[in-house]
Amino acid sequence: MKNIFQKKGFMVVEVLVAASIITISILAALAVAQKSISVSRQAFHTTQAAFLLEEGAENARIERDNTWDNVASLNSSEQIGIFTRTVIASSVTRDNITKDISSVGTDDPGTKLITVTVSWPEGGLTVSKTLRFYIMNIFS
Amino acid sequence: MIKHKKNKIIPDSALGSIQIVPKALSSKHGYAILELLFYIAFFAVLSFVVISAMMTMANSFKETTIQEQLIQSGTIMERISREIRSASDIVSISSNDLLLSTKDANGADKTVEFKFVDPNVQLWEAGANTGNLNSPNIIVTSLAFSQIITAKGKAVRIILTVKSANDALGRMQDFYDTVVPRGSY
Repeated sequence: MKNIFQKKGFMVVEVLVAASIITISILAALAVAQKSISVSRQAFHTTQAAFLLEEGAENARIERDNTWDNVASLNSSEQIGIFTRTVIASSVTRDNITKDISSVGTDDPGTKLITVTVSWPEGGLTVSKTLRFYIMNIFS
Repeated sequence: MIKHKKNKIIPDSALGSIQIVPKALSSKHGYAILELLFYIAFFAVLSFVVISAMMTMANSFKETTIQEQLIQSGTIMERISREIRSASDIVSISSNDLLLSTKDANGADKTVEFKFVDPNVQLWEAGANTGNLNSPNIIVTSLAFSQIITAKGKAVRIILTVKSANDALGRMQDFYDTVVPRGSY
């Protein structure tokens, strides 16, 4: 009788171990599935942010087409849904001899460096995308 | 299963109350029942975890599909912004309709028109409907064009709102863009 009990008990333990392994592997697959949601959501937010960056750049161009002085004073931050967009214009210096854009030289009032940043919260972290470009006063 | 002469003295109703059974028996049979109860409870918890995990996985698959469709809907905005950028002028603009004059591949003048016909965005080239920009599983809930006039040109602001046909919650997502037609410079 003891032998039978031992056998039965052993079988239950076997089944227990098998069930635990299956459960753990399913939980691992669950973790992957949940991660895939956050990754695909982040990919979608990145797509939306790409258009917001483009819009920020085009807005700087619209300001240039209106009045150049408005470009120089660009320094704005706005909230669009979950996204925060900041547009900052900074001055550009040109080399005195080559007239190329460089970190040292004379300030060029006809050229500005525009930095557009779009940031949004993503699962407790803040993700941000930045677009930097030079804009020139071509109309005066 | 295990036939034993002494088993007969235990009434069925006494199975749960082990203390009235003689000690020699309780150490064997009571333990087996407790063991069984423990395993049943354990398997119940395990199967609950497994079933809920399966359901969550099915839902996350659905959610991933929806997100993928929404990412694809970004191509609508991409197409509109590219056409505006290469356009030379805005012929007519209303909230749901944008007509642009542009050039074809050979440099000849042509028109491109974007029309919002609920729930689709139609692309008209040279006066002919060339089809919907959105895929069938994307519902365009709104598309709004507005014109910005500057000292040296124009710009179009676009607001596109889409949702997935597969989304039971009907969550809507917005795309914003503003484009200056470069052909007018």
